[in-house]
Amino acid sequence: MSTAILDPKIAPPFREAVLPVLRNPMLRKNVAHATQVIQNKRAKLVAEKTDWQELRSAASAIRMHVLENLGAYLEQFEERCTAAGGVVHWAADADEARAIILNLLRQENATEAIKIKTMTSAEIQLNPYLEAAGITVHETDLAEIILQLGKEEPSHIVVPALHINRSQVREIFSRTMGLKDLSDDPKELTGAARHYLREKFLRVPTAISGANFLIAETGSVAVVESEGNGRMCLTLPETIVTVVGIEKVLPRFQDLEVMLQVLARSATGERMNPYTSLWTGVTPGDGPQRFHVVLLDNERTSILARPKERQTLKCIRCAACMNHCPVYRQTGGHAYGSCYPGPIGAILTPQLMRMHHAESLPFASSLCGACVEVCPVKIDIPAVLLDLRADAVNIERKQAKRAFDLMYIGLRVANTVFARPWIFHTAQWFGRIGLSAFTGKDGWIKWLPGLGSRWTENRDLRGLPKQTFHEWWAARAKETR
Amino acid sequence: MNASVETRARILGRIRSATERVAKAPTQLADAYAALPRTYVRRGQKSNESKLELLIERLREYDAEVVECLEAGLASSIAAQLAASGKLVFVAPAGLPKEWLVSGFDWKIDHGLPAAEIELVEGVVTGASCAIADSGTIVLHHSESEGRRVITLLPDWHLCILRASQVVETLPEYFDRFSKPPALVTWVSGPSATADIEMTRIKGVHGPRFLHVILVRDETQDA
Amino acid sequence: MRASLFIACYNDTLFPETGRAVTRLLERLGVELDFHPEQTCCGQMHANSGFRAEAFSQAKRLVRLYEKDETVVIPGSSCVAMMREQYPGIFEELGNESQRRELAAFLPKVYELSEFIIDKLGVEDVGAYFPHRVTYHASCHGLRGLHLGDRPFRLLKNVRGIDFVPLENMDRCCGFGGTFSVKNPEISQAMLTVKLHDILSTKAEFCTALDNSCLMHLGGAMHRQYAAMRTIHMAEILASTEDAPAEALA
Repeated sequence: MSTAILDPKIAPPFREAVLPVLRNPMLRKNVAHATQVIQNKRAKLVAEKTDWQELRSAASAIRMHVLENLGAYLEQFEERCTAAGGVVHWAADADEARAIILNLLRQENATEAIKIKTMTSAEIQLNPYLEAAGITVHETDLAEIILQLGKEEPSHIVVPALHINRSQVREIFSRTMGLKDLSDDPKELTGAARHYLREKFLRVPTAISGANFLIAETGSVAVVESEGNGRMCLTLPETIVTVVGIEKVLPRFQDLEVMLQVLARSATGERMNPYTSLWTGVTPGDGPQRFHVVLLDNERTSILARPKERQTLKCIRCAACMNHCPVYRQTGGHAYGSCYPGPIGAILTPQLMRMHHAESLPFASSLCGACVEVCPVKIDIPAVLLDLRADAVNIERKQAKRAFDLMYIGLRVANTVFARPWIFHTAQWFGRIGLSAFTGKDGWIKWLPGLGSRWTENRDLRGLPKQTFHEWWAARAKETR
Repeated sequence: MNASVETRARILGRIRSATERVAKAPTQLADAYAALPRTYVRRGQKSNESKLELLIERLREYDAEVVECLEAGLASSIAAQLAASGKLVFVAPAGLPKEWLVSGFDWKIDHGLPAAEIELVEGVVTGASCAIADSGTIVLHHSESEGRRVITLLPDWHLCILRASQVVETLPEYFDRFSKPPALVTWVSGPSATADIEMTRIKGVHGPRFLHVILVRDETQDA
Repeated sequence: MRASLFIACYNDTLFPETGRAVTRLLERLGVELDFHPEQTCCGQMHANSGFRAEAFSQAKRLVRLYEKDETVVIPGSSCVAMMREQYPGIFEELGNESQRRELAAFLPKVYELSEFIIDKLGVEDVGAYFPHRVTYHASCHGLRGLHLGDRPFRLLKNVRGIDFVPLENMDRCCGFGGTFSVKNPEISQAMLTVKLHDILSTKAEFCTALDNSCLMHLGGAMHRQYAAMRTIHMAEILASTEDAPAEALA
């Protein structure tokens, strides 16, 4: 069980980060099981939805339209939300967002807050900041409680505790809730969480949430959930603070007819999730009378500025990409060192970090494209990965360390080799001779030094044949003349 | 507050320069929005009868209990549901039709009850604004007959009275009906659930674990 | 029917028997095959590693090489995917107007082998004989990049004597991913282990695909582990007849 904070600034590179995970059979089993369950459920519902591809096209078009006109829609949202009694704040980065939120809590003399799961708050590392300021944050999502009480980190954006199995949950709950006779039956465990949270819902007057969607037309906020802890936090307290990325806005209420259809099917393999809540500003007599929205930039505008990368922001956080990713299936989320793991994490996290950190993530993919097929808003993740790889290389081109990077040197040499046929053919000839020293009697190579050892660690390589194809062709042409 | 005004201007400025090549002029934005491709299914094709059958099927998949009745039999249907629940104390929205407050039960009418009191009731009875057959979704707009959000959240048992005329087949049809968006909406598709522990679906974490629906048929409706 | 063969750098160097099989097969089907000896590489390795300028220098040479040809056939789905998916963006970023015009003229000429046989030649039964148990792995590039669909199956179905067994999780990545397996060898190996399990469960004698990059990865592991299975490019199955069985069977 890891206790590291998922901070891309200090997380080890992907290759290093996966090692403990690959050696953890229980985690790998949990991840494979969880992702397979959602894959199967999703596939069934997608097959039954005759207009699935049309929905994807519409969802993609709506999201891109918003991004291209983000200023107009955000201003409209702000105006309508304010008119309805909400207060809109703008935060340029994580530091500003945290400070704003703390300030709002202080204004309420809050010593505690109940919280709905929101990856945005993990992105800005809100909880440790508030705890350090003396505010107790109570996560209320079952997975988030498991993580909070178990001092763990999320490994998936929809099912954050999927790497933890029932007996591990039992251990965490019985220890932290003082329940000695607790079994590992998920029903009992869930019941324990329900009981543990009930008094908090009824008592704590301040809540923090994220948002799945902002509606510009009405100034409304939509929260999509399964458990009902969201409804509790949105309804019972006196004050609610919603922190949300600027890209989450939709033009109109009606656009939910597309987004809700694709989100539930993609995220949890359901036609509709149990509870979706929408509220607009403040409604006298019903729900929190003080409502604040903190709009977060935190490098989103930088992503927005790059035409090929802009599509990263279409994401509606459904996690279909990671549920289908063959890499994620073997590693789970922690290896990505960020609250955003998997394929979307591999493109979002490095960009949020301006490529100063998490530069190994764009390479954490075999480019298989399984994510492209399932993304409900048609983000071409491999295309963005390739772009970010080019960015990483262009940065390296200016660095002295490239002289010591075997792969960099190797690829530069290879380019020279491919540049002229005679160099290519000479290299093939030298290669044949050089490798023959390593070729066994059966014609196969079992061991190579240097970079070659990355191949021969787990695979044999058939020795280079005596005649290349082009040599065979030339010889045949000669014969027939 | 100056810092905040400055930040706002800075962020909007960054957005403007990030999208200057692609953003539409204000006069063209609505047209660009209207031109977005929407070739997905908007209207359902089912007959009225099939649509209602589908809703009932979906609701039962969620283990909601569904009974049908005609308008004339509504009050007795409500009484039967309440009696079968074994519960006595119910909360009702202030605007619930008087005929639905059947006798023999302890009714708490919500004129702004404190949450601590609502926590003590055993069930809630409301109407609804719409239901979507495709997904078995009940839509609450928290009007007078649906009540404040808290009363359909804290009690463990919820009886929802739905009229057949309130049922649409597809989600887009709901949005067609309510083109003027309400301020508060709760879409309910089954009792609360979690699959956070080993993907095992557990029902009823927070929110009512038991949902009962009375579907009121119109005698004159065509099949 | 004339066509010019782009063999792919790794086939030229490591799997010339695939090239020989493609030649035998297409000539049997009446194709007048040509081969430009100046060809080297399509630039995929560089493009996928982020070395775009280098990839472009290779790509523009390749496009120019086939200026005078009407049809180019390539027995490697990853090379074709590279050309269709990445060349346009790279030429847009680094090329000039004239080079982009050359590319626009080049791309419609390009056929992956199974596309060429089925779409261009209109043939599904190539007269092959391969009496062995065979399973098929769908390379990611062919599956999702080229949308080859059921072309491979339509060709394999008509091979006389073949005992075809479907592969569970056929569309799951084998973990090679080119430089991915060099930059992240451990995770690549984990994916390989999982994939190999599915492949070996078929108890086939041969695992085939339309791309030798996947096959050298899978086949190298099979050989290391003394697995009772080998890999073979589909061209070699399709070229195999009673009189001239595949070289792999010798």
